[in-house]
Amino acid sequence: MTGAALLRNLKRKLNGWVALSVMGAFLALLPSLYILLGLFAHTNENWQHIQEYMLLDYALQSLWLVLGTGACTIIVGVSLAWLVAAYDFPLRRFFAFAFVLPLAIPPYIAAYTYGNMLSYTGSIQTFLRNSLGWTLDQRYFDIMSMKGAIFIFTLFLFPYVYLITKTFLEKQSAAFIENARLLGKNSIHIFFRIVLPLSQAAIAGGASLVAFEVLNDFGVTNHFGIQSFTTAIFKTWFGMYDVDSAIRLAAWLMSLIIGIFVVERLVRKRKKFSSPTNRVTPLRRRKLTGLPMYAALCFCMLIVSLSFFIPVVQLSVWATWTYEEVLNERFVQLLTNTLSISVVSITLLMLLAVTVANVIRYSRTSVFAMVMTRLISMGYSIPGAVLSIGVLAVMISLDKELGPLYVWLGFPEGKLVLSMSLFMLVFAYIIRFLAVGFNAVEAGFEKTGNRYAEAARMLGMGMTRTFFKVDLPLIKGAVITGFILVFMEIVKELPLTLLLRPFNFETLATKAYQYASDEQIQQASIPSLFIIAVGIISVYFYHWVGERQAK
Amino acid sequence: MSFFQLENVTFGYGTGSGPVLRNFSLRMEQGEIVGILGSSGCGKSTLLRLIAGLEAPAGGRIRIGERVLVDERQFVEPEHRGVGMIFQDYALFPHLTVEQNILFGLHRLPKKEREVRLREMLALVQMEGFGKRYPHELSGGQQQRVAFARALAPRPAILLMDEPFSNLDADLKQKIREELKTLLRAAHITTILVTHDREDAETICDRIIRMAR
Repeated sequence: MTGAALLRNLKRKLNGWVALSVMGAFLALLPSLYILLGLFAHTNENWQHIQEYMLLDYALQSLWLVLGTGACTIIVGVSLAWLVAAYDFPLRRFFAFAFVLPLAIPPYIAAYTYGNMLSYTGSIQTFLRNSLGWTLDQRYFDIMSMKGAIFIFTLFLFPYVYLITKTFLEKQSAAFIENARLLGKNSIHIFFRIVLPLSQAAIAGGASLVAFEVLNDFGVTNHFGIQSFTTAIFKTWFGMYDVDSAIRLAAWLMSLIIGIFVVERLVRKRKKFSSPTNRVTPLRRRKLTGLPMYAALCFCMLIVSLSFFIPVVQLSVWATWTYEEVLNERFVQLLTNTLSISVVSITLLMLLAVTVANVIRYSRTSVFAMVMTRLISMGYSIPGAVLSIGVLAVMISLDKELGPLYVWLGFPEGKLVLSMSLFMLVFAYIIRFLAVGFNAVEAGFEKTGNRYAEAARMLGMGMTRTFFKVDLPLIKGAVITGFILVFMEIVKELPLTLLLRPFNFETLATKAYQYASDEQIQQASIPSLFIIAVGIISVYFYHWVGERQAK
Repeated sequence: MSFFQLENVTFGYGTGSGPVLRNFSLRMEQGEIVGILGSSGCGKSTLLRLIAGLEAPAGGRIRIGERVLVDERQFVEPEHRGVGMIFQDYALFPHLTVEQNILFGLHRLPKKEREVRLREMLALVQMEGFGKRYPHELSGGQQQRVAFARALAPRPAILLMDEPFSNLDADLKQKIREELKTLLRAAHITTILVTHDREDAETICDRIIRMAR
């Protein structure tokens, strides 16, 4: 291609949409850049201390958490996915949905609920003592440990593995499994020799999501007193007031995440099995009878109770004890805070998500599109604590740059405007959850295809008018889905909100956390139930959209 | 000088795969109906996308009359080309009625003229009385007629048709082919029709060009 043609193509492709997308992607990259720069900064004494006595511990604890949770979620998630996808038994449809419900309960809420239930004065031990007269060894009830944390994470994160694996099995595996059945293989053989190897990519995808969630967590590990990377970042930041060392820790954690990312890619690389034909035959389910049926029912019942009904019932009981004390004007303020910051963040986020998706849809395989997608999705795999440090660093240096402007506007010298305001939190939410909104919108664009937009261009409408007259009405559903999913994420997000909120700005999540860490677990139940309710609505909506698409 | 001209147009999708079109040239007179015949993958749909402005050629020139649509230095966006196109699956906007679909391309006309042109187009394709329907409430043949009306309404200089019969039942095809032929003659519009079916091209077109891979 000649230089003139290159210039022509550049001119053709540069417009407001592209400029806005590139700017958004750059902003999304900025905090990560700041953090990685932290690796090259000078170290201080604190860091020497951290490196010598603590770093290895943090790394090992985080590693054990990730590995333990990963293994357990794979066992639970894959076996449930296989059960639901390949067999028919009573209540199957109910379970298929109920296994997604744990996603509505943030692990930190589950952690303090179970933590309290299993304590000496909690409902379980009280019941055993008073009604049955048993006083058992406290060791049996020790949930405030590594094992306990893995237990909690497994129960409330397995749906990621379950969902992805189930979708894969239902849509992709029928031909292989039916062939194996015809070849006379028994169920156990099929599961281990066909299902597991086939769904490797799906399982790896789900498990890496679980790993990101575990590394993102602050609430569970902090409540259970585990020294993970994230809690360590909090401690160096708020305990030692050493932002530099916190950034350095964050940089190490981010390197770990990038490592997981690469491993997942490598596992997936050549293992992306899908049938070569486009014809999708759904898997025919086998009816379970007799003992296997009862075993399946019991297993499903157990998981659903532990991962949803027991904590929700316990929280509801606590709520009846405390609602008079908790539900007051301050609580209304809490709701308004949560709602308004969510709506503002989501609106901006969806604008950016739609813009980028609209730009890259015409050249999905180009380098530009791939880079944009990566940048947009990056925030979701960065733990909240890490991201918030990056955002803080960006905002502080922005404040320094803008200092003269502030003085000119009448603020006192050295005033931090951005880094003390809600703007910072909104900015962080957008980067963190951009991927969620973007994926929803992109799915919408993929479903409608480009031909309507192309038809509109041929009829004399520019890109912008085409978007408002044709694209937006057609992807409306996808935009709403994105809105709801991001809403759920923001409402339950804890570490980001805790670290970046302005002084005295409380949301449902921070209030629930505050009650719980002040040993006022019963009071925490009401904000927690609100968060769970939002989660259930989103999960139900998501499920409903999925079912409708399946039809 | 001919009315419509492609000179040495070259195009390839991405690197690695060779060019789909190499130095393709074509001249057409006003009102001429040219059929482009070839098996799938020979680049005939790409040719239409290049004329429409949905892809940019790596080299060559396309012009209508005196006006250059694309060459080394300039690129006219599809919305400013004055080219009409009927897509393979018609791409009628599912959220708009037949009337709204046809009016869609008339936004540059004054309000009154829009209404007049709409009536004209509905009459041309004999779809009066269907104006308030949505695309999914129409048969395949009716959808095609609406797509035709929608593409012609803004009076494009040239009309492109991509496999116009591929979505129709075989027994319907013969009838619609004749219909379309009459419509095209009545509208007296310069047309390029792309198809893989020799009979389609022979029934409708003045001239047939065969493309090989």
